[in-house]
Parts: sequence; C-alpha cells; structure tokens
Amino acid sequence: MDALPTLAFIVIVITSMVILVFRDWRINAAALALQYIASFLLVNLSWPIGMAVVKLIVGWMATAAIALTCIRQNKVETSDESSASLFFRGVAGLVAILVIFVLSPTLQEQIFPELDLVIVQSGLMLLGMALMQLGTNTDPYLTIFSLLSFLSGFEIIHAGLERSTLLTGLLAIVNLGLALVGVYFIVKNNPKEAFPAQEEPGK
Amino acid sequence: MTLSTPVLWVLFPLTMAALIGVFYQRQVLGIILTCLTAFGLSILAIFFPEDLLITIGSFEIVFTESIGFFGRQITVAVSMLPFISLIYAAAGLWAIISSLPNTPASFRPLSLAITALLTAVMGVEPFLYAALLIQTAVLASIPMLSPFSTVGEKGILRYLTLETFALPLILLAGWMLSGVETLPQDSALVGQTAVVLGLGFALWLGVFPFHSWIPMVGQSTRPNVFTFLMFIIPTTILVFSLNFLNRYTFLRTLPDLDDALRLFGTLMIVIGGFWTAFQEDLRRAFSFSVLTEIGFSLLAVSQFEQGGLTWMLMHFPVRALGFWLWGFTLTALDNYTGSLDRHSLQGIAHQYPILSAGILLSQLSIAGLPLLASFPIKSVLFNTTFIASPSQGVWSFVGNLGLFLFTLRLLASFVRSEIDSQPQNWSLHEKRYEILLVGAAILLLIAFGLFPNTILAPITETLTAFAQLQ
Repeated sequence: MDALPTLAFIVIVITSMVILVFRDWRINAAALALQYIASFLLVNLSWPIGMAVVKLIVGWMATAAIALTCIRQNKVETSDESSASLFFRGVAGLVAILVIFVLSPTLQEQIFPELDLVIVQSGLMLLGMALMQLGTNTDPYLTIFSLLSFLSGFEIIHAGLERSTLLTGLLAIVNLGLALVGVYFIVKNNPKEAFPAQEEPGK
Repeated sequence: MTLSTPVLWVLFPLTMAALIGVFYQRQVLGIILTCLTAFGLSILAIFFPEDLLITIGSFEIVFTESIGFFGRQITVAVSMLPFISLIYAAAGLWAIISSLPNTPASFRPLSLAITALLTAVMGVEPFLYAALLIQTAVLASIPMLSPFSTVGEKGILRYLTLETFALPLILLAGWMLSGVETLPQDSALVGQTAVVLGLGFALWLGVFPFHSWIPMVGQSTRPNVFTFLMFIIPTTILVFSLNFLNRYTFLRTLPDLDDALRLFGTLMIVIGGFWTAFQEDLRRAFSFSVLTEIGFSLLAVSQFEQGGLTWMLMHFPVRALGFWLWGFTLTALDNYTGSLDRHSLQGIAHQYPILSAGILLSQLSIAGLPLLASFPIKSVLFNTTFIASPSQGVWSFVGNLGLFLFTLRLLASFVRSEIDSQPQNWSLHEKRYEILLVGAAILLLIAFGLFPNTILAPITETLTAFAQLQ
C-alpha cells in the first residue's frame, strides 16, 4: 500500500466513526470536509486530478451549505446524550469496521479484481458506516450527512470502474441537491424563524 | 430551421418550470402556464409527425431526435412519444387540481420539472445514467412533499434514503452488465448482476420490504401531491426498466426472472390489499392501494413473453385517471372536513355526494370492478397469473379483494343515515367545478372500462421503442 491512499483510508475510518458517534454539527461538518479530502485522494488514483477535484469541490460545497445554514439558524444540539448511547454507537461502528475489513478482500477478489484493495476498503467503509449512521439517527441534517457519505463511498469505487464527464456532472448535481434538501430541512425545522406561507390559502 | 425533440420535451418545460417557479405565488398564472405547457406538449406528442418535419405555410421546422450533452446523447425518440404524451397529460391534469387550497405553491413548477426530468430518463445515453436523473427528480419532489409549515418528515427522509440507495445499485449493475453479456447463463456473475439490479428496482419502486415509506409519506402529504408522485415516478421507472429487458438477452432468458417478479407482484398485492382493508385513514388506505398497483405492474412485467407489457402500458392511463380522481376528491374533502379519518367522515355522502362518489368510484376502479377502467386489464392479469401459478393467482385475487372490502366499509360510513340519533338530509355542498371535474372523470373511467382497446391502444405503441419486447 502506498502511504497516501493508506492515510486517506485511515482518515475515512476516523471521520466516519466521528460522524457516527457524535451529534454536534460542527464536529460532523469538519469530519465530512476531511472525509472529502480523503475521497479525493482515492478518486485521484483512478481519475486525472482535474476530474477528481470536482468531487472535492462539490463535497466541500455541500458541507459548507449545510454548515453555514446551521450557523445562520443558530442550530443547537437539543439531545442530552448519555455516555451509554455514545458507547453503543462506538461499539456498533467498531463492529461495522471489523465486518468491512473481513469482507473487503473477498469482494475485491470476486467482483472488483481491477481495483486496489484500499479503494474497495475505503468505499465499503463509507458505505457501511453511512448505513450504520442512517440506522442510528433521525435528525434530517445527519441523514443528509450520511447520504453524502454513502454516495462518496460509492463514487470512490465507481471512479475506478468508469470515467465519464456526464456522470461526474450528474453526480455533482445529486450531491448538491442532497445538500440543498438538508438546508431545506434545517431551515424548515427551525422554530425561531418565521416563514412566508408556502401553501396556498383556503378559500 | 432545425430543432431537436429533447429541446422541446425536456429543456423547454424545464425553462417553463423555472419561470413558473419565479412567480410561484401567482396561482392563476402558474396554473395557466403549467396547463398550457403540459397539455400543449402532450397534444404535440400525439400529433407529432413521424418524418420529424413540421410545415407551417412556407416555414419548415426539421426536428432531430438527439442532442449532445457533456459528450453524451439525450434522445427523445418518436416511438416514445405516446408515453411522453401520457406523463405530460398527467402533469396538466394535476396542475388543474393544484388550485385546491393548501396545495404547496411549489407543486406546479416542481411537477413540471419532474416530468421533464423523467422524460429525459427515457432517452439519456448510456441509459444507465438515467438513474441520476431519477434521483434528481426525487430530490426535486422533496419541497412539494414537505412544504414549510408542515411537520413530520420522517417518512420523507426514509423515501429519500431508500431512493438514494437505489442509485449506486443501478449504476453498479450497469457496470456489471457490460461484463456479463458474453458469459454463460450459469456464471455466478449473472446471478449477482440480476440481484443487484433487482435490489435497485425494488428500492426505487418501494417493493416489499422497502415499501414502508409509502404509507408514511402518504399520511403526511397532501393527497393531490402524493398521488401525482405515486403515478409518475413508478410509471417512468417501470418503462425505464424495459430498457434492461430489451438490451440484455441474458435477462430475458433468465430462468427464474418471471417467477421472482410474479412472486413479488403477488406479495405486493397481498400486503397492499390486506392493509388497505383495515385502514381508518383514507390517505393511508390510498398508500397501501399504491402497493397493489405496483404489484400488478410486476405481474404484468413477469408475463412479458405473453404480452404482459401491453397490459402494463394500457394500465398506465387508467391508473393516472384513478389516482388523479382519488387525489382530487380526497384533497377537496379534506379541505371541507379537516379530517380524512373514516370515523369522522360518517354520513359525509349526505353533504358531499359527488366527492364521496368520486372517492368510492376511483377506489372501485383501482380495485378492478367490472365496467370500470381497470377491470379489462386486471382480469387478464389475474387469468394469466392463475395459468402460470394457480396458488399465486388465488393469492393475488384474495389480496385485491382487500380493496373492495375497504370500499364497502367506506361506503357504509359515507352513507350512514343517522349520526348521534340525528337523521342526515341529502344536500349538495360541492362547488360547480368540482362537480364537473368529478363527473367528467367518472364518465372517463366508465368509457375506459367499456372501450379499452379503442382508448388505450395508442399507448402500446411505446413498445416499438423496445424491439426485443414487442
């Protein structure tokens, strides 16, 4: 394994674990931004830097959109999390990491023989941890973070399989669309803001 | 002058949607523009010349079927126009009922944009990239499903999550398919590809066990918005799925494909019918009825070698009308009564007889009552399913009875003549346009049932786009 992909993989494991365990949007946004750097490094193994950097920029834009909305809305964490729930999610994350470590070599051998193991491992790690994140939260912004992680994991693997400008463009639209949906839910759920009526009045 | 069909049926409505979106608070203008665009494109699709040449006096417009986009092609083939006509007509119909109070103002521009995106789904090359357009349509549907001032987005988040999960699976299946074509049928990769592809479509269509979001979203959303979405997205996905059957011989000849599709179709009908029968909330009841409709579509696809696809396509206009009538009457009744719980609607037919009749008849049409629109199609599907597998034929019939049972319970509630010992008198409280729209829809439901071949046959021409499936 080269040092840079390995480092990217370690960053992915740590950041996805952080998003799974913690509920503070500041920590999670920082973790997601770091995760996109790691994804970029891994996508760059398969794609030229000009195309790979699109993933990084789009990812950062998506993260920034959600983070800035949280700042704008003065989003506060309302849940009083017990250490038991943090511990539970931590253990669940470790189990997921273990399962992915066990499964990745077989999957790489049988389905993605043309990809490096580190790419398969990183992609699956993001996919698996995103599933775990989705299973342990109901907050809209965290759901969107998890879906962004999920797509990021898929993109790492898919980049090694296919290269297409249209696909990159459409995936960028989907990622930004997801971020906009996240922004929409954050704004919608903020009781402090008064919104103009979006539904048409009764007659 | 040269134009391309994608400009007409994709870019133009997207531009119109943006324009309508700018003036989203101007209801009348929005309805007029949406209806003009949607019905105009629908009518143009019906009468579009096959030689792609429109002559107005000395002025000639030559059309091409494709347009380049990021190095790839988007094609709107003439053979797809019957289906495109249907989805634009549906967008226009739903735009009419967007005038009902409490409909999200974003509904009109977004419904038009979603229809345009789903039209592009039919013609993007490579066709697998259509998965991303479907995902974009799903994302665009969120604001109209969950407008500001509403609470409860749990179901909508689940919908978004499950639809997003489908995207990687379909793209991955696309990559796997390119390597599978040359492999023998008994290769492990063939089975793996079919499973990945099947999972993707199951997530998209809300097939058991991924169906839980449908009743959740149905209950928290305006019925006219929900019925539109439940018509247009699954319908387009089903037509898109024909691309796979058409292009990959190994899929068509997969020994267990028809059995698997029939099994899941039956399961959907049984689950949907059973849960519909015992619902108290009319919105949830509709949501579960949607499951049976998806089940019938799967049954039709499972019989693709016996002409099932013709029945599936003929079922789409019928479904559109049934869903539209249901969405319209439920929304109108909700606005009048403030509740769509069966108990709170007891004796409601005495005050709103036309709306009540509309709800009951749309339900009966979806259930497949003889003389109504779905009957000719569903009776054929029952017959062919019974021939292929008697047990599944019986189960699907029993499941479908759930819809009738619910309708009977609803009828008993609606016409209850005495509430709290107070006799109910008959009166007409509906507005004139509501009476006209419901009356016209009921007449059409009967006409569809009486003359299915005459009215519904044109849409089956869509199959000419799929050379291997005719």
